[in-house]
Amino acid sequence: MTAEILRILLLLAQLGFVALLYLILMRFAGSLLRDLRSAEEAQISSRSGIGRLSVLESPADEPPNGTTIALGPINSIGRNVNNTIFVEDDFVSANHAMLTFRGRSWFVEDQGSTNGTFVNGHRIERPVALSFGDELTIGRVRMRLDR
Amino acid sequence: MRLTWRGAEFRLLLPILLLVPLGFLVTNIALTGALETGDMTLAVGFVALFVVAHVVLVASGHRGDQLILPAVGALGGIGIIMLNRLPQDLAGTSAFGLELGMAATQLLWFAVGMIVMLAIAVGLRDDGILRHYKYSWAAIGIALLAATLVLGYEVNGARLWIDLGPVSVQPGELLKIVLVVFIAGYLAETRTLLTSARMRIGFLSIPPLPYFLPMLVLFAAVMLIVVVLNDLGTALLFFGTFLTMLFVATGRRSYVLIGLILFVAGAWVAYQLFGHVQARVDVWLDPFADPLGAGFQPVRAIYALGRGGVFGEGLGQGLVTLGGSLTIPFVHTDFIFTAIAEELGLLGAFALLGFAMILVFRGLRIAALARDDFGALLAAGLTASLGLQTLIIIGGNTKLIPLTGITLPFVSYGGSSVVASFIMIGLLLAISHRSGSADEEAAG
Repeated sequence: MTAEILRILLLLAQLGFVALLYLILMRFAGSLLRDLRSAEEAQISSRSGIGRLSVLESPADEPPNGTTIALGPINSIGRNVNNTIFVEDDFVSANHAMLTFRGRSWFVEDQGSTNGTFVNGHRIERPVALSFGDELTIGRVRMRLDR
Repeated sequence: MRLTWRGAEFRLLLPILLLVPLGFLVTNIALTGALETGDMTLAVGFVALFVVAHVVLVASGHRGDQLILPAVGALGGIGIIMLNRLPQDLAGTSAFGLELGMAATQLLWFAVGMIVMLAIAVGLRDDGILRHYKYSWAAIGIALLAATLVLGYEVNGARLWIDLGPVSVQPGELLKIVLVVFIAGYLAETRTLLTSARMRIGFLSIPPLPYFLPMLVLFAAVMLIVVVLNDLGTALLFFGTFLTMLFVATGRRSYVLIGLILFVAGAWVAYQLFGHVQARVDVWLDPFADPLGAGFQPVRAIYALGRGGVFGEGLGQGLVTLGGSLTIPFVHTDFIFTAIAEELGLLGAFALLGFAMILVFRGLRIAALARDDFGALLAAGLTASLGLQTLIIIGGNTKLIPLTGITLPFVSYGGSSVVASFIMIGLLLAISHRSGSADEEAAG
């Protein structure tokens, strides 16, 4: 008789174990769904652009240190205030460089500046494709291209 | 340092903390036939590990993904329950005056892996060390392979092991990670060149060779050595991971097509040249031709799957023994999925696959949200590696593809595999932490 009871208990425990497995899976599914929804909202509110520049170092604080600049498809960079990205630094030319999004990639081209444009520490001679995470140095201002 | 309240992780870890002791309890009742809890030390130890990991992540203000640690806990939990249920003398260590059974040894490796994972997840704030020294990493990888070639010894026909005093290690497990780091670094640098420039042969566009060749040469060398070492599962895993990363980096279907054509050609050549490859394929096509010889392993596995059915035999109630030993070969490593499917049935096997899928889904999400190309490629590569490894070994267990001996991540017994898998999770956490903090900056 006790053997019978034990068998039934064991069967229940076994069922409980599998049920718990699926309960955990359901909880995971719930978390996944919540994340997807909040990600959708975040997408609508902020991250819909094609890229942004994070300002790593800016001696004159224009653009301000630590900020991010949202990018359009075509961005001119220079000391002239008519540029899309205005940079206040004595080592930057009036029309310094052009940052463009073509096809599926970012490209940067020097506009004949005096002190040159640098990608990851190397001076560029012709238009160069940028990857996300690359560092762009213009004068003494260092910026990073981010998604 | 600020705390982060990792609520989702906490909520998901809670039922897993219940799952492992319950599994131990059911196993003990079924095996002894008495209503006793049995020795719960290992279950408590396992649970404690994940609690500690959660607390460390909270205390260090980690903003990484909150679902991957619980997913690892679920996979590892099912694994440790199964390893605890199997005879403890299948494997184990007797080092430093300690005599540990199989499940205890596995728990020890989980602890080591967890420490490494936390060190990477919390400590790796800058991926420069991975990104800029990619050729050094490649050199280390080649050195690891060379060491295996010279110092390694064979287990079951594949030369994978190096003996280091008290422990034996499988350098191939570490090589897997090093290779993904190298490929991610290389592709992040040349990605735009690989997508913009193009060469054509007929209707197929092929990668521009000057940029592609260095990686191809290194990769071919690795593949060659792996095949010489007779480790077909790892070769398949490396190749699949490489193709996935190439596709993620370039978005070119033609590269994948070329890769698959090369794979089919390579597989055909290997089938013609090597006897052991032929044997594997023949056994896969018809295991019942020689059920007591070459087909022994797959036939035992198929019978075990059949016994399990939809609902399983129940924990501790399956796994037929023959003359005192289990009939499924390598039940704690290569065939652990078969053992799980026999005792927990199709339902349990589906749950296991579900947890693996969640891990892969989150890994790809981390890749999609990564801030830079290197992080994205690294996350995609690590995820592809974990996912493909699961697919290859479960496919082998269920006779979907020819069986190749690799481990089921976090479930199979094996120190090298467990630690390597934890390193990969640590890297994924580190990558997702950086995109997590970035979002916070942008928002507030």
